[in-house]
This record gives sequence, C-alpha cells and structure tokens, in this order.
Amino acid sequence: MAAAIETQNLTKTYKNRSGKVNVVDQLNLSVEEGEIFGFLGPNGAGKTTTIKMLLGIIYPSAGQAQVLGKEAGDIGIHRSISYLPEKPYYYEHMTGMEILKFYGALFGLSDTAMYQRLLERVNLAGDQHKTISQYSKGMQQRIGLAQSLLNDPKLLFLDEPTGGLDPIAHIEIRDLILQFREEGKTVFISSHALSDVERICDRVAIINKGKIAAQGKLDDLLRGGRIEIIADNLTSEFAQGLKLNGATTSFNAGRLIVDIDEAEDFNGLIDGIRNAKGKVVSVLPRRRRLEDLFVETVRNLQSQGASK
Amino acid sequence: MKQVWAIATTTLGEAIRRRVLLVILLVGVAFIAIAPGLGVLSARSETTVLRSMLLSIIQLTSAVIAVVLTVYMIPNEIERRTIYTILSKPVHRWQFLLGKYFGAVLALMVMMAMMTGVLCLAFFVQQGYRADGLTQLLRAPIMFFVQMCLLAAVGVFFSTFVTPLVNFFLSGAVYLVGTTFSSFFESMLNNPSSSNIAKIIGRLVNTLLPNFAYYNVQNPLINPTVVIQDETQNYIKIVAYGVLYIGVLLVAGILVFDRREV
Repeated sequence: MAAAIETQNLTKTYKNRSGKVNVVDQLNLSVEEGEIFGFLGPNGAGKTTTIKMLLGIIYPSAGQAQVLGKEAGDIGIHRSISYLPEKPYYYEHMTGMEILKFYGALFGLSDTAMYQRLLERVNLAGDQHKTISQYSKGMQQRIGLAQSLLNDPKLLFLDEPTGGLDPIAHIEIRDLILQFREEGKTVFISSHALSDVERICDRVAIINKGKIAAQGKLDDLLRGGRIEIIADNLTSEFAQGLKLNGATTSFNAGRLIVDIDEAEDFNGLIDGIRNAKGKVVSVLPRRRRLEDLFVETVRNLQSQGASK
Repeated sequence: MKQVWAIATTTLGEAIRRRVLLVILLVGVAFIAIAPGLGVLSARSETTVLRSMLLSIIQLTSAVIAVVLTVYMIPNEIERRTIYTILSKPVHRWQFLLGKYFGAVLALMVMMAMMTGVLCLAFFVQQGYRADGLTQLLRAPIMFFVQMCLLAAVGVFFSTFVTPLVNFFLSGAVYLVGTTFSSFFESMLNNPSSSNIAKIIGRLVNTLLPNFAYYNVQNPLINPTVVIQDETQNYIKIVAYGVLYIGVLLVAGILVFDRREV
C-alpha cells in the first residue's frame, strides 16, 4: 500500500532563552493510505507542530515530509487534504450554511445541494440557519468536520476531534471517523482520548519530546506477551506441583487460573492439565490497554531522560 | 480571485459586527449630527468652521477605525486558529493577506459612507439641496477614503510581524507624522541652512513614510471662493501615489507573511 504521509528526519527547532530546542526531533513517520493513524503524546510532545509542518503552515528546520506523494506544503495537495484543528473557532456571526459556503468558496465551489448533504451527514441540517454563536461545542465540532469534508479529501488531519465533547457527541464524531475509513479515506488523528484511538485506529505512533517512542500496528503494540489459561476439575496437588517461570497462578474449588508468558511452554501446561483429567475452559492471549502502553512508554522515556 | 473575495467579504462581515468599531463609528456619527446644532458662531464663521470641524471628525473617526480594524487583523486569525483552517485549503498566503486587506477597505467604505451620509444630511438641513455643493462636499471624504486605505495598508503591513499593541502605536505614529509633521520634515530637507543630519532625517522620513497630508483637501471646501489650478490633475496624482504606496506596503507585507511561522 502506498504511503499517504512519509517523513524523513523531520525536525523543527525553535529558539528560546536557554538556547535551541528541537520541538520535533528527527521524526520518521509512515502512514499508509486508507488507514486511521493515531498520533499520540503528552502535551507539548510536538504533535500539533508536526501536523502544521505536514500542512505547510510552518516550515521544517531540517528533514523532509511528503504528503500524498508531494512535498508537504505544496498548494496542489491542499485540494485533497483537510484539517480540523484543536478547539477550532469559526466566525461567530455566520450560520452553519454560511460557514460551508465560505470554506467552499476557498475551493472555488458553490454547490448548495452538496452543502446541504454535508449538513445532513453531520446532523446539522435542522440547525443550518443558526449562527455559530448559538451552536454548542459538539455542533461546532460537527460543522468543523463538515467543512473538512467539502473537498471529499483523501487525507484528513484531525487534532483532538473529540476533545471536550459530551459522551453522545463523542460517539457521533467517532462513528463519523469510522465511516471515513469505509470510504477509503486516510485519517491522521492526534488525540488524548486513548480509548477512542484504541477502538478506531489501525496503527499508532507515540511521540514524546519530539521523538518517536513507539510506532506500529495497534495489535502488535498491545499484544501483552502473556496468555491466560483457565481449567476446571483439577486438584490442589496439581496446582501446587506446577513449576512455571514468571507465571501467576490461582486455584479455587477445582478451577486453576494461570497467567503465563507466551514464551514459556504453555502447550506443555495444557498437556499436563489434560493428563490430570482436567478440563481446559479457555486459552486467551492477554492484551494490554493502550493507556498502559502510553503511560509505560512516556514514563520510560522520562526516567531515561532524568538518568542522563 | 474567488478566495480573495471570500476572505474579504467575511472580513467585512466580522468588522461591521465588532462592537469597538461600532462604538467609534457611533461617536463619530453623533458628533457630526449634533455639531450643526452648536449655534454659537457667527453666520460666516459658522459655515467655514462647521465644515472644517465636520470633515475633521470624519477624518479622525475614520483613522481610529482604520487602525483598530487592522492591528488585530492577522494576530486574531492566528490566536483563534481560523488561519489554520483557511491556509490548509488551496489558499496562498498572499491571497489571505489581500483578502484581509480588501475586507478592511470594504469595511472602511461602509463606515465612511455612513458618516458622509450624515454629513450630507446635516448640510441639507442647514443649507438646502444644491447639486454643485454636494459634489464639492464629497471631494474631501473621497480623498479621506484613499488616505484611510493607505493607513489600512500600513496597519496590515505591521500586523504581519508585530503585536496589536505595538502596531497600534506604530501605525498611529506613521499617520501622525504623515499628516501633521510632513511639512516639518519637508522643510528640514529643503531648508539650505539645515545640517546634514537634519537633511538625512528629512529625506528618510519623506521617502519611507507615506505623506498622508496630500489628502487633506478641506481648504477649497472651507473657502469655496479660492480657485486651485489643476485641481483634478492633483487629485489623480495623489490617488495614484496612494495606490502605488499601498501596492508597495502589501507586497512587503506578503513577503514578510510568506515566511512567518503562524
């Protein structure tokens, strides 16, 4: 699959009182077409700076970035991409329909029927004549998504798309993003809502202090490396006789629960259970939560930084 | 061009709803409306002083509006992040800047037209309708409009790289020097007894800063009996000067804004 976004040693340096700081430091990213890519990191990690460089709003200090096969910032690719910034502001005196007309005019569009369809898609058809100042936060986010769909983009950059929304608005936005994938669009999401990212993203990258700390398929990153085996009809002698490295076991009323490293000989354990006339109830690979991975990755980097 | 027009009309829509601008405009309109009622002057002086006063009110109010309107123009778009959604569309930075400038010009046109309308009304009430009087009367506000377009270009240029507060004082100072002290700097340059340093300063100010005083064309309106030679040619010349200066300022602004981190 072709890369929708590719960066090579992308770096952004700012000067401050204490000298030069690399806000984004030799970033190497690859986002494939048609996937939902989660770009995660603590506040000030360099997420928004990276997005701005990919959009050509700010310029890299070093390195390169290609978006849809062209140099980032090429005005031609702006016809095929869109951006929803974090906490966006829209001209408050305008109505929802006027917002779409304004942003549509920036593409040279004047298709009122299309604007109408977009408003229906984001559930704002009934509120199209209300001014933005009368819109709730969720409605403003939805009109933001509508404006980002005006050009039927191949690639969407969404910066905290569900930030500060109530649970219903949250689910609505999440469902819309899932629809984008079904339509073959590539979505690049920067978010702190890790449970959302875990549900909808195909791949993620975790960035901290401008550097990539982890990157890959979500399934690979969250694979816990451990397996949980549950078996019934066993004796306490069997449970006590188990000699397993790094495993945790619990036994109660004939039920044995073992949490074992997948590198260990868990097939031997299953054979042992069967030989002891036990009944294997389940064998489950344990998956970590994204939140655990995120916290672990960021803390590891912070402790490495502190020890230097 | 569609992009520039879309940004300009949106800027106009926002400007005419900004409370601070509306308050300044209302104060100006109120002064123009009540000034003829201040009947403390003699018949002759009443006409000349009143014309001068009313035109000065329009000029001052318009200048304050032009500065307040333009100093926040770019910084507000960055602070509110609207610039990101606009520049992520197929919009060049020069189109954005031109759109903002023309939006400011449109807003100034609307607001100055309102003040001029009240001015005309005040004159009709006082002197009755006279077609020749109207054309004569409109010359000053039209020249003021060109002056304000120039001031707006100064404000937009500074707004590409300084904060609104600094821009307010910078644009205000450029306007003050260009209107009030331009003759002083001209005399510094032309006076044979001036020192070399004074001449350099005079040349620098005369070359770099726009001469806003060219547009102060109240005198023939205040004293209609005075005949000015080549009046029309003079108007064409100063309009061309203004357009040229605006062009230079906008190109400079575009060059600065093009590399600016937003």
